Amino acid sequence: MLRLSDYEKGVLDGKEGRLQQVCLENIVRYAEVLGADELCEVTKATLFCGAHNYLSVCASDDFDEVFSRVNLASDEIVPFDRTYADCHVQSCVSPCDGQEFEAFGQTADFFAKNAHYLERSREAGVTIAGSCAPYLTGWLLARGEHFVTTESSVTLMGNSLWGAMGNADGIEAAFWSAICGRTPAWGLHLEENRAGTHVVEVQAEMRTALDWDILGRAVGVSLPSGSSPVVSGRFVSVTFEKLRQLCTSLAVSSNCRMLHVVGYTPEARSVDDALRGTRPAGTLVIDRSALEEGYDSVCAPGSGPVDFVSLGCPHYDIDQIKRVAYYLEGKKIHPDVHFMIWTVYPIKAMADLNGYTRVIEEAGGHIYTGSCPVTMGEVFLDSYAGFVFDSLKQAGAARSATAHPVYLGGVQSCIDAAVAGRWEEGLRWRG
Amino acid sequence: MERVMTLMARGAIGGVAEGEALVCPKGIGAFGGLDPATGVILEYDNVNRGETIKGKILIMPGSKGSNGWSCIFNVARVAGAAPLGWVFSHIDSSAAVAAVLLRIPTVVDFPDDQDPCSLIQTGDWVRVDGETGVVEVYRPAEADGSD
Repeated sequence: MLRLSDYEKGVLDGKEGRLQQVCLENIVRYAEVLGADELCEVTKATLFCGAHNYLSVCASDDFDEVFSRVNLASDEIVPFDRTYADCHVQSCVSPCDGQEFEAFGQTADFFAKNAHYLERSREAGVTIAGSCAPYLTGWLLARGEHFVTTESSVTLMGNSLWGAMGNADGIEAAFWSAICGRTPAWGLHLEENRAGTHVVEVQAEMRTALDWDILGRAVGVSLPSGSSPVVSGRFVSVTFEKLRQLCTSLAVSSNCRMLHVVGYTPEARSVDDALRGTRPAGTLVIDRSALEEGYDSVCAPGSGPVDFVSLGCPHYDIDQIKRVAYYLEGKKIHPDVHFMIWTVYPIKAMADLNGYTRVIEEAGGHIYTGSCPVTMGEVFLDSYAGFVFDSLKQAGAARSATAHPVYLGGVQSCIDAAVAGRWEEGLRWRG
Repeated sequence: MERVMTLMARGAIGGVAEGEALVCPKGIGAFGGLDPATGVILEYDNVNRGETIKGKILIMPGSKGSNGWSCIFNVARVAGAAPLGWVFSHIDSSAAVAAVLLRIPTVVDFPDDQDPCSLIQTGDWVRVDGETGVVEVYRPAEADGSD
């Protein structure tokens, strides 16, 4: 039986307005389906704002109608005009770059429509960041802080790396929570549900960010639904970047929303610490062959011409852009290749300031902001015939969207392919 | 057709639906892996790639993949391509949001020794009662006992 506070009862009675009322009604239904006992206050949210492709099913360009029918699941038009005052709300990616549209096969009308949708969200209280990596722009979680996000890697990172508390609610429920400030106190919002469930012994040597990216898939496809793995191994040189790739690929390969990496995540000083006195439901061994199987399941075999090379999933930080600029110095991208790096606007400004943008553009590449190839979708992808990504998440989604070959590699392999206009089998597994 | 089993779990969204089962034992990575306009599964490594969820009783362990999971099913609802009912071995947050949005009969949280993803087969005729939590499974008489 769900218990509500006096404030929450007042919202349900309409004291805070119709939008808050509808959103809390939805949160209450959500809590009842889960079997939650109470709600908790949400102080950070990222929202999927913009004229996303899936919204076209509404056959309407009216923001309020589309928002109500899809995000509120309501035939009543309820304007989105405010967010919860105590919640730090940023936007996730939209289907458009911050400035360009022709480079992606998009029309001026679509770009204007997306800008209008973003502006309506901004007026409601959403800071337009346009990033799947909100932590790059100051959206930083404290241990124990309750959050909602539309980005699955952020759910895993928030719980696992920072000890914050969040579930994978989804796009609609993130709007509800950002508006009414509540989410069901269920799942990873409760301390007792944060213990690891399975022990993963990594016997493979883990060197590059690509290794960690593949590990996420190898673990994700092997564990039962609802697991929280405790990943252990003789790891060296573990970085935030590597853990971020692990979280990103694990999130899209499973419904895992929290993992522990023994010695590196705050609730896992040891295996026992991560298990919190519980017996693991199972143990999984990941050796080199398991990683190779994971890689082969995503990356096309052999060699072949490529005309599309994309880096930055999740959005690159400034150091990742610096490394690309250093490696590209003096090189030229093949004229048939669209070579791009995806990041968030303030990081692009830092790349401008530091001269990295100039090096990348002089080589024939581009730095884009606010979106990513898969979020843009077919209008962009359908113009190309050979794809290279440095992220398993993008590569996997592209494989679902195109019959053309999709390759996955480390950053330098991706750049080498962009320069040559060709993916060579020898680039596999290289950093 | 004869009833070959009756499973009992928690009814999460009321109502009764029946239809052909589509079993996805590894779930569906719906965001980018399901066309919401048609209900066709696009996910590159899904065993049911090319099949549609439209008009089916969908049997899954839970959600999978991107946090956009619920929105793809939600848009399938708007497009008229949603399943008639669904069954989750164990409820999770994304699946719960999707259930709230679709408002179709939903049964969840099965005992560990009665996992619907292993007991129900694609093509079975399934009746889901989201009020009582009862899931009835029917097969052609000649197929009875063949598995």
